[in-house]
Amino acid sequence: MNTAVETENLTKYFKGDGGKERIVAVDHVSLSIREGEFFGLLGPNGAGKTTLIKILCTLVIPDEGTARVAGFDVVKDAEKVRECIGWLHGETGGRALYWRLSARDNLKFYAYLQNIPKDVARRRIDALLEFFELDKDADRLVKDFSTGMKMRVMLARTLLSNAPILLMDEPTVGLDATGAIETRRLLQALCRELHKTIVFTTHNIFEAERLCDRIAVMNKGRVIAVDTPLRLSEITRKYMGVEVRFRGSAEEAVRILEGLRVVKRIISVESEEDHTVIRAEVRDEEQALSEIPKVFSLNGLRTIGVQVALPNLEEVFLSLTDEEK
Amino acid sequence: MNRLEVLKLFMVEEKRTKSSLRQLSAVVWSQLKMMLAYKSWLIMDLLSTFASVVMYYFVGMQVDPTRLSQSGWGTSYLAFSLVGVATSNYLWACLTRLSHSIQHEIRGGTLETIAVTPINMFIFFIGLTARGYLVSLIYLVGVFTVGVYGLGAKLSFTPQSLFLFITLFVLMLVSNQALGLVAAGIIMVYKRGDPLVFILAAVNEFLAGVLYPLELLKRFPAVQLLSMLFPYTYALDGMRRVLILGASILDLKVLTDIVVLGVFSIMLVPLGLKTLAWGYNRIRREGTTSSY
Repeated sequence: MNTAVETENLTKYFKGDGGKERIVAVDHVSLSIREGEFFGLLGPNGAGKTTLIKILCTLVIPDEGTARVAGFDVVKDAEKVRECIGWLHGETGGRALYWRLSARDNLKFYAYLQNIPKDVARRRIDALLEFFELDKDADRLVKDFSTGMKMRVMLARTLLSNAPILLMDEPTVGLDATGAIETRRLLQALCRELHKTIVFTTHNIFEAERLCDRIAVMNKGRVIAVDTPLRLSEITRKYMGVEVRFRGSAEEAVRILEGLRVVKRIISVESEEDHTVIRAEVRDEEQALSEIPKVFSLNGLRTIGVQVALPNLEEVFLSLTDEEK
Repeated sequence: MNRLEVLKLFMVEEKRTKSSLRQLSAVVWSQLKMMLAYKSWLIMDLLSTFASVVMYYFVGMQVDPTRLSQSGWGTSYLAFSLVGVATSNYLWACLTRLSHSIQHEIRGGTLETIAVTPINMFIFFIGLTARGYLVSLIYLVGVFTVGVYGLGAKLSFTPQSLFLFITLFVLMLVSNQALGLVAAGIIMVYKRGDPLVFILAAVNEFLAGVLYPLELLKRFPAVQLLSMLFPYTYALDGMRRVLILGASILDLKVLTDIVVLGVFSIMLVPLGLKTLAWGYNRIRREGTTSSY
């Protein structure tokens, strides 16, 4: 599989207040993102995610190291890079549009800049406006749109060019729940079915966990871990544990588990819609996985599932960034 | 339209041909559309065009024709002021429009969205200036039409004078736009300086003698010397000689104006382009292509 995005020791400094201090925004980042991969950049504010994305889309010139997008150097072949990317900066909250143009005219304008043939542009604009439920407002000036509507115009603009690589900075910010779900599904489909490479940043850990093939966790400009969400969980887990899902009395289940030698301690008890989930630290995972359903069954509790408990991405993120501190 | 239908539209790779002309026309088209969105502003601007010409008509009644004649510009103050008033809008457009537009794009975050498309940024910057040029053209045509046909100002519009006027006018645009590029490059980086450019344009307009003959500055040699540093001074002098006095290319003063403007253009255009490129690369280095 080919590499879509590759960075090597990529570094960017910015001047701090007064211009005397030098702040490292991106610190020797080396990444390799495959074609067709859904790649997430996760990190706290100021971690360097946006700067990294801006370097990849040629908006910011790096100070050290190299970055290649679709095989082109972001500094030497910037124009070629721009032919292969779609970029969205969600944090602008819909500001980065021409407010005195209609939604349709905004899209038409960008289609021309992207050299998209007129008839193709027209078909795509109509389709995207309809998909993002903007067709009825397509000819209204953007200045009269809500933030969510502006965000949808920006998403449509990013997708319009049919670029093989999409660099998306907070693409679901400002969208309502339905809009965010639909957008996530569309991005997933673009990645899975049209083999587009998507590099995206988010603060929404749930979103990253659900969408990404791999995630790079960034902190203070550095990439501190890169892997699949599952592997990141495995790497960062600090104890052996199991997660039991069952129907029946939670108190009874806790009492049973506390009585088992293999169980060290109960970590959490959570009620879900029609069942309960108990996480417990154990001395031996395999023994716990076979023993617990049997004991539950003998005590009239119905086990729905039992599996090795891995930290969720939120715990992974906190664990990694805490280690950095 | 559901997700699958949208996906279908993206399954076919279309052939794209890069056309800088199409990109430029898209920028100009968008700028004009945005301008037309400010309807009341447009109407007010057109009305002010007519009002200003009428005002100079009445001012002309108060000016002693013999004093104007002693300065070598004929006896009609209306004709004299008309050439200055009609072209001074272009001076403002050349010097201030681009830097102002770029600042606007940076603050709105749209400069970044343009910069990630395959357009050459110089094409985009050229397109940004189009709006100012078009408004100034409307103003120029309006002022001449009202002045000449409405109020009877006598200007020489022969094929030869028009050719010379256009030559001087184009040189004026090139040299002043080059100064505008320098201003835009600097303002792009420092994000301030718009008022300075406005002051520069106002001083330039004043020193070039838009509303009075430069001969009056003889009493103030330092100011007169300063006025000679601006290309617009030569352009206005040449355009007036051609349109008011009917001077030909053989007129030494017109020829001098053309040569001086040519030298200004040759010197300033590379400087302007370099400063603009420097400014744009500098904001990419500093990560300040937007400032919301």
